[in-house]
Amino acid sequence: MLNLIQVEFFKLRKNRSFWVLLFTLAAISLLYPLMYYFDRQSNGTPQFTGFEFLTTFLSSNAYVLKFGVAVLAGFFICNEYSTGVMKTIASSGHTRGRLFLAKLLVFAVGAMALALVFPIVSTIEVSLLSGFGTLPEGVSSLFLPRAFGLTLLYTAGYAAIGALFTVILTDSGKTISFLVIFFIMIDMALAGIGSKVEFVQTLYDHSIFKLVADIGKPSIESGDWPALLLVPLLTFIGCGLLGILAFRRKEIK
Amino acid sequence: MNEYVLRTNQVTKTFKAHTALDKVSMSIRKGAIYGFIGQNGAGKSTLIRMITGLAFPTKGSIELFGSSEEQALIEARKRIGSIIESPALFPHMSASENLEANRILRGIPGKECVPRMLEQVGLQGVGNKKAKNFSLGMKQRLGLAIALLGNPEFLILDEPTNGLDPMGVVEMRELLKRLNRELGITILISSHILSELHLMATHYGIIHQGQLLEQLTAKELDEKCQQYLLIKVDNPEKAAAVIRREFATSDFEVMPDGSLKLYSQTEQPGVVSSALFSAGLTIEKFIPTGEDLESYFTKRIGGAVHA
Repeated sequence: MLNLIQVEFFKLRKNRSFWVLLFTLAAISLLYPLMYYFDRQSNGTPQFTGFEFLTTFLSSNAYVLKFGVAVLAGFFICNEYSTGVMKTIASSGHTRGRLFLAKLLVFAVGAMALALVFPIVSTIEVSLLSGFGTLPEGVSSLFLPRAFGLTLLYTAGYAAIGALFTVILTDSGKTISFLVIFFIMIDMALAGIGSKVEFVQTLYDHSIFKLVADIGKPSIESGDWPALLLVPLLTFIGCGLLGILAFRRKEIK
Repeated sequence: MNEYVLRTNQVTKTFKAHTALDKVSMSIRKGAIYGFIGQNGAGKSTLIRMITGLAFPTKGSIELFGSSEEQALIEARKRIGSIIESPALFPHMSASENLEANRILRGIPGKECVPRMLEQVGLQGVGNKKAKNFSLGMKQRLGLAIALLGNPEFLILDEPTNGLDPMGVVEMRELLKRLNRELGITILISSHILSELHLMATHYGIIHQGQLLEQLTAKELDEKCQQYLLIKVDNPEKAAAVIRREFATSDFEVMPDGSLKLYSQTEQPGVVSSALFSAGLTIEKFIPTGEDLESYFTKRIGGAVHA
């Protein structure tokens, strides 16, 4: 199993799409706060502190997270079907379950790295320009590790969904398009149906699609923690298991 | 010790209404070079994909190195190297990186095998070149190097000479024969170049429309390939009359170009040529010959086809 994870890391390190995405996100993360900085400077509006910037824009990072998962699923996993490399992997004498698990773990790590770029780079930049600021009353000093930790956990959940669809779709273009549309539409669909069907509303309230918006909340009620932690974890496990089952039955062309 | 590397037992594969493989029972002995022959769509790649675990039989079973239980089959595939349909490469990685990725995947300790494999397939000096910039022939060689990583006991090659230049084809053939001879690697090879296959295979399997028509050794093939005398004279009608009269046989045919194929008297070509010469015929061509693999295959599947 260790060599399977090692080879996935080797491939991730050599994956050009991953690095292009990482550096593009880093560049955007540097430029975005600068636009606000100069805009506010010319308007005379008080500058964002690092903390304010993070809490204001962390919810937008969910889009980066979803986009990162979709693109990486296409270029990191599905490319192996089109190049034929998946044939070599699947015939290498390892169980399909282990192969999928290794791929999912490293794919999730890659997606996590992408998901952390914007909050880390922009917060550091804004803090260097205007200071981090002080935490408002009622906000835990563990806010930063909590926000980053939840970002990682939710990225893993989304990555498991992405990996599941790579097994079904196998084509890079189809996977990226489908996942981007799926991640955008699922919120609207569940919220829309949920307004009419109570069960769907409950399902939506307890899905990563809804809870991902709570990552950047300055304070979280203690009663909300179980759902906030368990939902992405169960999504990761559930979709991971479904992915393993689908990959075990998959005939690779 | 199991003398068979591979045995398939009544393997059937259906896709909806289409039967791609119909009760195929194939066996490959340890140390053989097994030439797998069939037209496009005959079922060669489907069977190869099932042997390597990429597809699953609808019915029947596969036995590798004496094991047919699911988990043991997966484990047995660690002893197999393969190129299926086309070499599977990471285009953005160099040749060395491609080998390195496969070395890690197979859990082979030490990096020394990477340059050794490149050298073995004649790719030394281009280890740092990206695979996407390789010619088709170079990709085939790199694919073979990957298949050879970890010293497999059974090599499965689907069209390995595709894209190779004439010298490359010869080199590939010599390499495969050497691997078979020196390391005892069993090889299953499917190729459209039947003349090439004829120069290295020790066993053959002929598949047609999903059915394994025949398995035979090279010796059996030679025996089955019909021998004849190819004769070209200035007067084919007179030659035909001479043969009928002198040898009391009509086991010959006159070809459209005027040449004759005499299927009897193949053991005494001197007597035949003397008879024709004595009848005053001018002999332009006189060649004792026999069917090759291509004509045998064509005859076996019942028509002129492209393998």
